[in-house]
Amino acid sequence: MTRRVEPEPGPSAQQLSRWGLDPAWSRRVTFTGAEGETIDWHILDTGAAPRGTIVCVHGNPSWGYLWRDALVTLSQEWRVIAVDQTGMGYSSRPGPRRLEQRIEELVRFCTHEMLGPIVLAAHDWGGPVAVGASTALDVRALILANTALALPSGVTVPPLITAARILTELACRVTPAFVNGAAAMTDRLHREALRAPYRSAARRQAVAVFVADIAVRSSDSSYGALARAAGTFDNLTCPILLMWGGRDPVFHDRFLRDLRRRAPHADVEYFARAGHYLPLDEPIGPVMLDWLDHALERSSASSSPPIDDAIFHSVLDNLAARSSDASLVYEGPDGSLTWGDLAARSATAAAALAEAGVARGDRIALLVSPSVELLVATLATWKVGAVAVVADASAGIGALRRLVRAAAPTLVIGTPTTVAAARLGRFAPGSRFAAFARMAGVVDLRRAHGPHEPVTLRRNDAAALVHTSGATGPAKPVRYSHGALVEQRGAVTQLWRQASGTSFTTSFGAFMLLAPTLGARCVRPDFDVDRPEELTFDILAAAAHSVDTAWLSPAAARRVIATASGRKLALPLVMLAGAPIEPSLARRIGEITGGDVRAPYGMTECLPVTDGANPQRTGPLGGTCTGAALAGAAIVVTALDDVTGANLADGSWGEILVSAPWMFDGYDAHWCADEATTIWRGGRRFHRTGDVGYLWHSELFQLGRTRHVLHTADGPLASVAVEEPVAEALACGVAAVAVGPRGASVVALVLEDRRVLTLAPTELAERARAAAPCQVAAVLTGPLPTDRRHHSKVDRTELARLVGTVLAGR
Amino acid sequence: MRVLVTGATSLLGRTVALNLARRGDAVTCFQRSTSDTGLAEYRGDVRDAVALLDAARDHDAVVHLAALVAPRPRWAEAYAVNVTGTRNAQAAASRCGRFIHVSTPSVAFAGVAAVGVGTEPPTYVGRDAYARSKAIAEREVLERADVPTVVIRPHLVWGPGDTQLVARVVARSRQHRLFVPDGGRSLVDTTYVDDAADAIVASLDHAVVGDEACARAWVITGADPRPVGELLLGILRATGRPGSMQSIPAPVAAFAGRFFEAVWPGDEPPLTHFAARQLSLAHWFDQREVQRVLDWTPRVRVEEGLARLADWFASQG
Repeated sequence: MTRRVEPEPGPSAQQLSRWGLDPAWSRRVTFTGAEGETIDWHILDTGAAPRGTIVCVHGNPSWGYLWRDALVTLSQEWRVIAVDQTGMGYSSRPGPRRLEQRIEELVRFCTHEMLGPIVLAAHDWGGPVAVGASTALDVRALILANTALALPSGVTVPPLITAARILTELACRVTPAFVNGAAAMTDRLHREALRAPYRSAARRQAVAVFVADIAVRSSDSSYGALARAAGTFDNLTCPILLMWGGRDPVFHDRFLRDLRRRAPHADVEYFARAGHYLPLDEPIGPVMLDWLDHALERSSASSSPPIDDAIFHSVLDNLAARSSDASLVYEGPDGSLTWGDLAARSATAAAALAEAGVARGDRIALLVSPSVELLVATLATWKVGAVAVVADASAGIGALRRLVRAAAPTLVIGTPTTVAAARLGRFAPGSRFAAFARMAGVVDLRRAHGPHEPVTLRRNDAAALVHTSGATGPAKPVRYSHGALVEQRGAVTQLWRQASGTSFTTSFGAFMLLAPTLGARCVRPDFDVDRPEELTFDILAAAAHSVDTAWLSPAAARRVIATASGRKLALPLVMLAGAPIEPSLARRIGEITGGDVRAPYGMTECLPVTDGANPQRTGPLGGTCTGAALAGAAIVVTALDDVTGANLADGSWGEILVSAPWMFDGYDAHWCADEATTIWRGGRRFHRTGDVGYLWHSELFQLGRTRHVLHTADGPLASVAVEEPVAEALACGVAAVAVGPRGASVVALVLEDRRVLTLAPTELAERARAAAPCQVAAVLTGPLPTDRRHHSKVDRTELARLVGTVLAGR
Repeated sequence: MRVLVTGATSLLGRTVALNLARRGDAVTCFQRSTSDTGLAEYRGDVRDAVALLDAARDHDAVVHLAALVAPRPRWAEAYAVNVTGTRNAQAAASRCGRFIHVSTPSVAFAGVAAVGVGTEPPTYVGRDAYARSKAIAEREVLERADVPTVVIRPHLVWGPGDTQLVARVVARSRQHRLFVPDGGRSLVDTTYVDDAADAIVASLDHAVVGDEACARAWVITGADPRPVGELLLGILRATGRPGSMQSIPAPVAAFAGRFFEAVWPGDEPPLTHFAARQLSLAHWFDQREVQRVLDWTPRVRVEEGLARLADWFASQG
């Protein structure tokens, strides 16, 4: 059956150059194969480099070309070797190979080449080969991309593979259907290179054998080898990076979930828009480079000491203590809930979840709008030790689906409507569903067969995934531990008790979850929380009659002011959260409520940071006063792009860094974002906020976002510092944007107006220029686009694009 | 330094000559008519190689500003003045030791917006006779440079007494023929004449062996870009008499330019296609590198320049 095919001389220099590879990298290595015969591998080898060696293993059907980006990007610092496995790519084609032999041959190759400690990188079915070989090699770190070590329970074999297995001969060898079909999953530009070594049926022999060797059942010949590789992986202690393309029809997110479960210490970089050929679809080189720097440095340093959990009190303590309390914890348009009800109903729901197989550490997506059900579902989730994935629909249904899918929940809790939508829209392939209702095939959270003993939560256990607004870049999942939530309860209590609050209403959906943790009563105003701009004076007044505090977003506060028409309501405290808050907003809302108004600084990743006192205080560089840091929190202002995070003097502006025991513990599956926003100073983890501001007499003043800084030829300018004086002089909304390349850009001002974006009349332009603290190239009038989530942040990035288009002419 | 300045009758040439003389250089002005500068003069035509060689004798440098600038010059004439004239000037400079060639950003105008463009390796397009002839001249200067040579491309020079931009704008406006594409929304750099002259003087000091400035073409501007409509209205206001401009859609302007070029009998059609495109598109530049290399910064912002222009118009009565 197997004919011997002489190895081709390999890709020509011309081909390699065309494919973006250095022809000098291509060479052949001859060594003894697993069957004792001499085999001949084609490899791409970038040659000696200071940092060490990375051996890259492709899957099926592909070859070393797959690692093009890594070869090109890393070759300055790392020796990168991308091998063509036996019978694949441009390597020789001896007899068929099973997984065990492939593992053996990778080990022999590394030994033959006398490679010392190495980094292994693998993709697709190269994963089991690399992991299997790792026991016999000195592996410093492991990088895996869209691969599998086992079929996760409940996952069927991907259709492409099944079809190829049934029709192995026809699909893989006789015709190039499998090779072409696989190559079609990536960009057109890679197809020629991917197909090139598999032009004839004889050359595709190994592709067919590889497919036939995929171990699905225990009777398959490579099942044992695959299981051993999985076992090896479970016990690996070296740093691991999982890079994952989210649009892979073969190795989809459930395979990632399986790998993450096996190696909880692995770092994850999730590329939502990349497909199966992630190494070709995305610039993975820089990610690998940064991660290796970080991971190898980290593994040589001592790990942090384990935390003593003996005295840990979770946020559920309040609930346990008040299980027979008949006072209300929640009142809303959908009904009200006593403490006793909450304890009982969440206990039942937790028992139902446990009976449905939810285990500690599993993720539960909550597709429930703020309501009684959300409170019950969240507490039940925590009682079983699961992680609550909270995503709201305000960014649109497509974004919601992306976030839920990326979180890969094992179960989704929803209403009958959202469950149906999530099933239909394949929000969470392979997960179960639950609701507070009877539906076919859906867990009913109102019924359980027996009581459930709540698990003991530990400080480092993940509690929740919430999401950044997406108003400033793609929404990212923010992970909180139970320890951080307890600390956050302390911080909010510190902030709130200082202002003597006991009960509250809010325009933020997620804030309603604070009620049971704070032991406070929450009244939900009767409006759609996904649309904060719909909170009118009347709705707030109806909700506020029995509470002493309102947490409002700036958009909601503006709407309340706009609809007050001279009326007043008595509210001892208003907390404004969500940047940016202009001083006049605090003043005007204070005039309506007659009480204290605070604007504490904070963000999804760390909330709150400051006490928000004195929002109307002015500082030497302008901006919004957010008050002094809460006890336990630390604020540092550092120069833009200063990677060390050195402190600037009082009154100098720069990027704001924050640190607090209640901050998030990382972006989930976004290793790069984590790395880019984390700074260690004196053993303490700080978060780069992406906000700019300055400290003045211990109070923090905010000046906008780093991405809105105007990088002019004369130096950087904070957007707010440019806008404020103009807004004051002209009494209208103003946005300052930069036009032109960073570092050489010029400033354009846009004065708010309903009509289309156009140049301002001469006289108006002159007044704006006179008020501006810097050189202004152009003054325009037009609408200021705002983000969809809060309707309060002017989307300066979009505005800069629009202004650029106007001023570029046509 | 003894410097021969060609084209000292123009606003910029005259300012350069006077600035050099003021700082103590010995200046000879070379042009066909009198320069009215009170400086030493050599009457001659840049097309006359012998005259230029003769004039440049015993000089240390040639600053070459003489050029034929017209909306629609005849090719033979443009070639003779701008290409042959520059060859002659460079040949004369080769005997002196330094050469400053004043070119124009138009040589690289490719019909696309320039937004904060830095100094790049020169590209030559030359869409009309003027730009094409200047492009040939500049390329030859850079290719043939055998003494320290700097090429300066001042962007839209203006100031009191300017017969190009200011005078044309005022005249067109009075005839109600000042057409501006899309209300003049495109952002353009301009250079006040004193700043352009300073840059040329600075480049002369940097025309020494081994200096970064040499053998390159530098766009220089006032680094204070404005929407073109705002600039034109500013100039009109500076005259002290109200003027008007007509906004027309950019594609219409481009078409009208082609149309007028085809049918207009005189030398100055109301609009040319080249001018329409230049007015329709942004033109402003990243000046950080050139400012560093020439150790020069512009000092006159647009407002200040317009105020000086208004004073000048007032003094003219």
